[in-house]
Amino acid sequence: MNLAVEANQLVKHYSGRSGLVEAVRGVDLHVAAGEVFGFLGPNGAGKSTTVRMLTTLMTITSGSAHVAGVDVAADPDGARRRIGVALQEAGLDPRQTGRELLVLQARLFGSSRPAAAERAAELLELVDLVEAADRRIKGYSGGMKRRLDLASALVHEPEVLFLDEPTTGLDPASRLTVWDELRRINDRGTTIFLTTQYLEEADQLCDRLAIIDDGLIVREGTPAELKAELRERRALDYEPTLDEVFLDVTGRTRERVAGDVQEVRA
Amino acid sequence: MSMTQAGLLGQRAIREALRTPEALLPTLFIPLFFLVVNVGQAGKIFPSGDTPFLKGQNYGAFQLPSSILLAASFGSAALYLVEDIEGGYFDKLRASPVSRTALVLGRLGAEAVKSVVITAALVLLALPFGITIASGPLGFLLLLVLTAGWATVFAGFMQLIALKSRSAAATNSGGLIFFPLLFLTPNFVPRNMLTRPMEIAATYNPVTYIMEGLRSLILDDFAWAAIGRGFAVVVVLGAVMVALNVATIRNYD
Repeated sequence: MNLAVEANQLVKHYSGRSGLVEAVRGVDLHVAAGEVFGFLGPNGAGKSTTVRMLTTLMTITSGSAHVAGVDVAADPDGARRRIGVALQEAGLDPRQTGRELLVLQARLFGSSRPAAAERAAELLELVDLVEAADRRIKGYSGGMKRRLDLASALVHEPEVLFLDEPTTGLDPASRLTVWDELRRINDRGTTIFLTTQYLEEADQLCDRLAIIDDGLIVREGTPAELKAELRERRALDYEPTLDEVFLDVTGRTRERVAGDVQEVRA
Repeated sequence: MSMTQAGLLGQRAIREALRTPEALLPTLFIPLFFLVVNVGQAGKIFPSGDTPFLKGQNYGAFQLPSSILLAASFGSAALYLVEDIEGGYFDKLRASPVSRTALVLGRLGAEAVKSVVITAALVLLALPFGITIASGPLGFLLLLVLTAGWATVFAGFMQLIALKSRSAAATNSGGLIFFPLLFLTPNFVPRNMLTRPMEIAATYNPVTYIMEGLRSLILDDFAWAAIGRGFAVVVVLGAVMVALNVATIRNYD
C-alpha cells in the first residue's frame, strides 16, 4: 500500500509548569494515499500535537514519522514541499490582501512571479474569493479567512493536506462550503489528514478514522466499522452514531461531561 | 533561494510597516523631541566657539547620534513577529520550505531599510539648524549603513525576546533595555569627560562605539579608527544575533 502518512511509536514529551507532560505516548498511524483520514479526540488528547509533529512544526521526542515518503525529522524541508498545512488558527497576515498572501506563499515555494500570480488567481476562484481578493484580510469574515487559509495550503499542490479543526467556529453554511472544497481537493488526488471535534463532519468526509485519547490511539477503522463494532459489542438494536462511538471509546459519558461543568456563584 | 526568500519576506515586512504609519511615525518624532529637548537644556553650556569637542559645529551635531540611535532602536519588527506568532502566520511560514535564515533576515532587512529612511529624514530635518555632515556625502552614506547595522542588531535582539516569550508585553519590556544602553554612553559629553564609573560603563557598552562612529562621521573628516570600531561592533553583534535567531527558530516547538 502506498502510504501518505506513516507514524511509528510517535512520542512527544515536554516540560510543563507541573512537570513532564506526556502529550503523545506512542502513536502509530498508517494513512493510504488518496484517503480522507479523520483524527478525532477530546480536547487535550494529543491531536494537535501529533499534527504539529507530522507537519515539522514540533520536534519529535521519539519514534518516527514519514509524510509522502519523507522522514519529517531527517528531511523537514523535503516534507514541507509535499504537505499543505491549515492549522486551528487560520494562519494569515491581516495586513495583506488575499491575493498578496497567496502570491507570496507561492513564491516562497519557488514559483516565478507570473506563475505565482496565475496560481493565486486559480485558488481564489477555487475558494470563491475572487471579489474579495484585493481587500485586506483583516476585513474578511471567519469563513472567508478559513477558505483563504485552505487556499494558501494548496499553492504548491501538496500531496498531503493537514487540516487541524478547519471548520471550528464557522456557521453551518460556511462549514458546508469548506466540506465541498475538501471533497473537490480530495477528488484531485490529495490525501487529507483532518482533525475535528465535529463527529458529523468526520462521518460525512472521512474514509477512515482514528480516535486518540490521553496520547494513545484507542480506536481505528472506517466510520461504518466503528459503529458496527459498538452495535455488536453492546448488542444495540439500532445503528449507533459516531458520537456514541466517540463517547464509548474515550470513556466519557454525557453525565461525566455534564459533571465537569462547575457552577460558579457570585 | 534563501536570499530570494529573505527578499520576499522583507518586502512583505516593509508593506506591513507602510500600512501601519501610526506605528512608524513615533520612530521619527520621539527622537526629534529628544534632540530638541537635549539641545535646549545643554546647548548653552557647550557654546560652539568655546567647546573644542564640537569641532566648530553646534551642540545639536553632538547630540544627533543619540537621536539617530534612539530612532534605530524601536525594534517594531519584533512586535509584528509576535502578531505573526499569535495569529498563526508564523507557523504557516515555518511549515513552508522557507530557509530559517531567510525568516530572520527578511524582517531584519526590512528593519534596516526603514532605518535608512528614518535616519535620512532625521539628518535632513537637522540640516536647517546648522548641523552638517563633516565627512560629506560618503560619510552620510556610511552613517546610514552604520545606523542600519545597529537597527538590525537591536531588532535581532528584540526578535529573540519575541521568539522566546511569544508575548507582546514581554517584548515591549525587553526593548526598554535600550535606555540604559543609550545613557551609559558618552551621550552628553565625550568619553574622556565622563566621571570614572561612567567612563568604565561606557567603555564596556557596545553602543558607545557606534555612537562614537556616528559622531565622528558628523564632526570629523573620516576618523577611520572610530568608524572602524563602530562597524566592527555592528558586524560582530549582527552575526551573533542572526545566529541566535536562526538557532531559536530551528528549535522552536
